[in-house]
Amino acid sequence: MEMAEPLQSPRKATPLQVAKAVLSAFIGIRRRTAHERDAVTITPAQVIVAGLIGAAIFVLSLIMLVRYVTS
Amino acid sequence: MEAAHAHHGHEAHGHHPTGIMRWITTTNHKDIGTLYLLFALTMFFVGGVLALMLRLELFEPGMQFWRPEFFNQLTTMHGLIMVFGAIMPAFVGFANWQVPLMIGAPDMAFARMNNWSFWLLPPAAVLLVVSFFVPGGAIAAGWTLYAPLSTQMGPGTDLAIFAVHILGASSIMGSINIITTILNMRAPGMTLMKMPLFVWTWLITAYLLIAVMPVLAGAVTMVLTDRHFGTSFFNAAGGGDPVMFQHIFWFFGHPEVYIMILPGFGIISQIVPTFARKPLFGYSSMVYATASIAILSFMVWAHHMFTVGMPAAAQLFFMYATMLIAVPTGVKVFNWIATMWKGSMTFETPMLFACGFIFVFSMGGFTGLVLAITPVDIQLQDTYYVVAHFHYVLVAGSLFALFGGAYYWLPKWIGRMYDETLGKWHFWLSMVFFNVTFFPMHFTGLAGLPRRVPDYNMQFADFNMISTIGAFGFGLSQLIFVYLLWKAIGGAGEKATDKVWEGAQGLEWTLPSPPPYHTFETPPVVK
Repeated sequence: MEMAEPLQSPRKATPLQVAKAVLSAFIGIRRRTAHERDAVTITPAQVIVAGLIGAAIFVLSLIMLVRYVTS
Repeated sequence: MEAAHAHHGHEAHGHHPTGIMRWITTTNHKDIGTLYLLFALTMFFVGGVLALMLRLELFEPGMQFWRPEFFNQLTTMHGLIMVFGAIMPAFVGFANWQVPLMIGAPDMAFARMNNWSFWLLPPAAVLLVVSFFVPGGAIAAGWTLYAPLSTQMGPGTDLAIFAVHILGASSIMGSINIITTILNMRAPGMTLMKMPLFVWTWLITAYLLIAVMPVLAGAVTMVLTDRHFGTSFFNAAGGGDPVMFQHIFWFFGHPEVYIMILPGFGIISQIVPTFARKPLFGYSSMVYATASIAILSFMVWAHHMFTVGMPAAAQLFFMYATMLIAVPTGVKVFNWIATMWKGSMTFETPMLFACGFIFVFSMGGFTGLVLAITPVDIQLQDTYYVVAHFHYVLVAGSLFALFGGAYYWLPKWIGRMYDETLGKWHFWLSMVFFNVTFFPMHFTGLAGLPRRVPDYNMQFADFNMISTIGAFGFGLSQLIFVYLLWKAIGGAGEKATDKVWEGAQGLEWTLPSPPPYHTFETPPVVK
């Protein structure tokens, strides 16, 4: 049984908007209106790419913090 | 929300086998869910008896009942059976029953594979239990199967390795089934962000399982080849590294911790809104927090091994990353409490277990933060403080969530209400005896009592005696649940309504109680 995603919109999200969505996902908080806008405009591919970049930034910033503390 | 009820019940489907063959050949998600749940309950009692044997020895200092080697087998098998035989299959049982009902699907996507996923479990359980009777007894390396212990022990280790392989294969197949069902078989209108939170948590958990079960399989396969085929993956004398086993194991093991708790979060997120009679506060936050916890769970594994030796920089990295997991977890606890805020709450047994979960799991979470601090952890490594911590998150976390879910959906599954008074007794006795058992372990652990040792010095005698009394009280309290189940399934309670609970929301409550053998053959329309 297949079903089409009804949430398709011609407008694509800006990189900044995707970054904001992923960042708020890392903390675990998102405003409902912002989330509803995300659900319409952000594509899964954007989320995955932004998520990988976000995870890399997270790890790198922790490593930088560790370097700062241990230097 | 409007459901198209199936038009026929059992009678119309007389063509499927009856008796024992019905259960062996079944491809029905409800039958398989029931099988998973009964299997998990059985293994819960097997693992529980092993725990009581441990506590019996620990009732007094000195050696009374078991040889030390057998004590080590008991600790190992208690862990393996509870993790792989009880908690994980129980959650898969809930997924089998509830995911299709909650998303409006007629069954799981791969019905025959579903049957196989379940029927792999009993042979694995037999391997584990039989290993007690082979020469040298069961594996005694701890549930973590650390090398070089596991590379040197008797044939019981091989049986455990094969059992882990089989259980892993079962979990991977179950996960593939769950992901495919959720992504492809939702009712029209059921967008991802309209899914009940239990379905969301299982979707994310299934991805975690697929990511890490092969890692575990790889680790135990390397142990197997080290044991029998002359390799030296974990043997320093042959150029290998025993610490590498720990890194590989915990790269599986830490996400595994979340595999065992995320579906529990999902169950709690269904129960709390029902009995607070309010929608879940911050639904999208909950989804985001679950995803966040899942991603972070891959970056913290070495906090289990701060004492094996690693650079200070690595210790700091894993300490920081671990402490940050408290943020999304805190978001969840906040949201559950915000859901209750100004709700018109009632405290039936599922809600009692949910509230108990939130309270006691949070305590386990806090001791987790204590253990995340490297210098503290170096003091507390392998003490009873760790035992207290992970029983607070696994018993009061996963198990209480499972009981809450069982009481919540049981009337839907069997069409009869359970005995509410007995349910309340079950909760309160479990809650009290759980704390009697495990709270003193914080004190003994802080005072330096090492875990996995059958004897101890006199100064630990009183707290250990209290723990043992609590453990037997907790174990016996679980018999109430069995009696309650037997009574309810026997048809003693009043007939359950379709909706069962006044505040219940979701597709499963639009079906009759019990639901007919086949449901949602015509998909419901979700508005």
